[in-house]
Amino acid sequence: MDILFSSIIAGLLFGMVLALVSLGLTIIFGVMDIVNFAHGEFLMIGMYTGLLTSQVTGMDPLLGLPVAAAIGFGLGVLCYYGFIRYLLRGPMLAQLLGTFGLMLFLRNSALLVFGSEDRVVHHGVLVGKSFDLGMGVIIPATKLAAAGLSVAAFLATWLLMNRSRIGKALTATSLDAQGARYMGIPTEKMNALAWGVGGGTVTIAGAVLVNFWPVNPFVGLLFTMIAFTIVALGGFGSVPGAFFAGLVVGLITEIPGFWDFFTYTFDADWMLNVPMTSFKYMMVYVTYFVIMVIRPRGLFGWKH
Amino acid sequence: MKSMIRINVIFLCLLMLAGLFGPTSAVAADKVIKIGVIYPLTGGAAAAGRELRAGAELAAEIANGVFADLPMSMAKNEGVKSLGGARIELIFKDHEGNPTLGADLAKKLILDDKVDGILGSYHSSVTKTVSAVAEQYGVPMINGSSTSPALTKRGLKWFWRTTPHDRWFTKDLFELLVGLTEGKVQGVKAISKEEIMNLASACEKTEWGSHVSGLIDALAKEYGFKLKKSLLYAAKSTDLSSEVRSLKAAKPDVMLFASYASDAILMVKTLQAQKSQAKIIWGQDAGFEKPEFRDTLGDAIEGILTRTVFLPKVVEIKKLAGQVNAMYKAKTGNDLGGASARAFTGLQTWVHVLEEAGSTKPADIQKAANSIKISGDELVVPWSGIQFSTSGEEIGQNVLGSGLIGQYQKQADGTMGLEIVYPFDVSSADMIFPLAGF
Repeated sequence: MDILFSSIIAGLLFGMVLALVSLGLTIIFGVMDIVNFAHGEFLMIGMYTGLLTSQVTGMDPLLGLPVAAAIGFGLGVLCYYGFIRYLLRGPMLAQLLGTFGLMLFLRNSALLVFGSEDRVVHHGVLVGKSFDLGMGVIIPATKLAAAGLSVAAFLATWLLMNRSRIGKALTATSLDAQGARYMGIPTEKMNALAWGVGGGTVTIAGAVLVNFWPVNPFVGLLFTMIAFTIVALGGFGSVPGAFFAGLVVGLITEIPGFWDFFTYTFDADWMLNVPMTSFKYMMVYVTYFVIMVIRPRGLFGWKH
Repeated sequence: MKSMIRINVIFLCLLMLAGLFGPTSAVAADKVIKIGVIYPLTGGAAAAGRELRAGAELAAEIANGVFADLPMSMAKNEGVKSLGGARIELIFKDHEGNPTLGADLAKKLILDDKVDGILGSYHSSVTKTVSAVAEQYGVPMINGSSTSPALTKRGLKWFWRTTPHDRWFTKDLFELLVGLTEGKVQGVKAISKEEIMNLASACEKTEWGSHVSGLIDALAKEYGFKLKKSLLYAAKSTDLSSEVRSLKAAKPDVMLFASYASDAILMVKTLQAQKSQAKIIWGQDAGFEKPEFRDTLGDAIEGILTRTVFLPKVVEIKKLAGQVNAMYKAKTGNDLGGASARAFTGLQTWVHVLEEAGSTKPADIQKAANSIKISGDELVVPWSGIQFSTSGEEIGQNVLGSGLIGQYQKQADGTMGLEIVYPFDVSSADMIFPLAGF
């Protein structure tokens, strides 16, 4: 039974971080109908920011969050004004290839600066510490903190989007950009804001993730793929959908744990030798495929 | 006048004699034997690559110079004596842990650099492709540190391996477990087999890791232990938490791993975070023996076992190992480890083979390698010697090698160091059993 509870809790905690990872992707798509292939590279920059902040200042990596958020926001706005707004004038294909090019540029720039080797946070207030909840359920402190901070950042973004004037202007832009312009909303600034918030949230996710996940210039790919699955499942453009889908995908990555639970519950020897841990991410991609076939709109999607 | 002519004739004769013999000796002294050395000098195993390189370089230095204090034959004269004092020149190439790149580099070494032989390549997967190229071109290759048993089961004619392989090492572990039940382990009273009956293993999904996983499965059956969980994980993993939860769910007494450095560190960190309660944790060398493993994890690794072929404690048993270790430490600042000691031994074997062959013709080298016998007294590693099998199931495997099992224990100066716990007759400390738990 302990493996069942452990897996559910681990899946939910990881899912909360994944939800924050995919939030930026869904905001940018919601506001501008652009799919940002460089999303994972923003995450990678957030991870390096968290790591370097702690290495340079000697502070705990979690304290690098504001720095990561500021860099992510700035980078998002910079990308929009320096690059994306020109792409918007071109066809859809140019936008796709443009963000793909941005991905390659950021990844190879990181390769040039940091090299290809994995870098890991080995020291920090929470690194190596765990909470024992009893019944064999143990939660690593870094993951608990990452999940808590992710939920806080997610809530803050949701409040910004739904309870503030600027958030309403952003929503108006995403619903009908032309109408919003007629109402006097500076849609150009709203687009830049969407990129800023998108960049800021994913770099925060990177800074919490680096506490328990090694970073290298290629780390973004895995998370871009997972973020696409989450956004597809939650619905392109839906913020609550991203949160719910993040939790579901987090649980999907724990299917090997559920498999073990059934193996030991039913004492099935044949199940013991199935290498489920090898397939944990494959199941995420299968989910993506199934959603695309059955419900391309996603569970909470309102964009067509 | 006549005497002047006589003196001039004698002088001319001397000049001619000098012309005849002088240049010949100069050519011999200048002659070099090129050995292509293919190691992972960058990438995930770069730290091991640096050790390997330093080990091979030290052996070449000793072979090319005279070190009267060292009781090894290659230190007695400059270069290879039977080849007129020809010097050993090492040409290093970096395979980055990539088998395809390794094969390309082997081709370049053979075709462009015209090497006389190859040494390498650490990762079994790379050694496999490099040795296939060497076989294709008929160039001799000596391997000092790849431990996949399959490498010497391919019937290659141009491939010899000095290190014992994983079957030896894995068998050593089961002998240690049996020793625990029989009270043979220093500092531990005999325990019942039930206490250590349940095993679980996690090995990386590579040529080497998959073989180790298979060996653990086979040997567990042979020795009457229950392998409750056996899983393979993607090498260079970024997250091993679901793997560790799966291992823990099997409630094993003994956990066995085959991982390179970054995975070994991540695995132990995850075990620590998940508060693993295994009584024994054993690593199949590689990552578990690297300095970065010890430096990164600190006190958390106390009690963890790793198989190896060389430990600083060997220095206390073998005088020669101590002397070479001192030279290595002066050169690199570190003690000899499993990787560097075996790279040293690999190149030393090359020197002996060349000495025996007295030629750089591949056929002569092949004949010499197949008949060579190097005494254990010549080696820094604690083996009986080096002699390659030439018939049977394994071809080109050194049959005189042996392994060690070390356990991380706190040393007098507060640092973590490896103590020998197996073979029992050379134990350097009491074994910590069971593990304190994280």
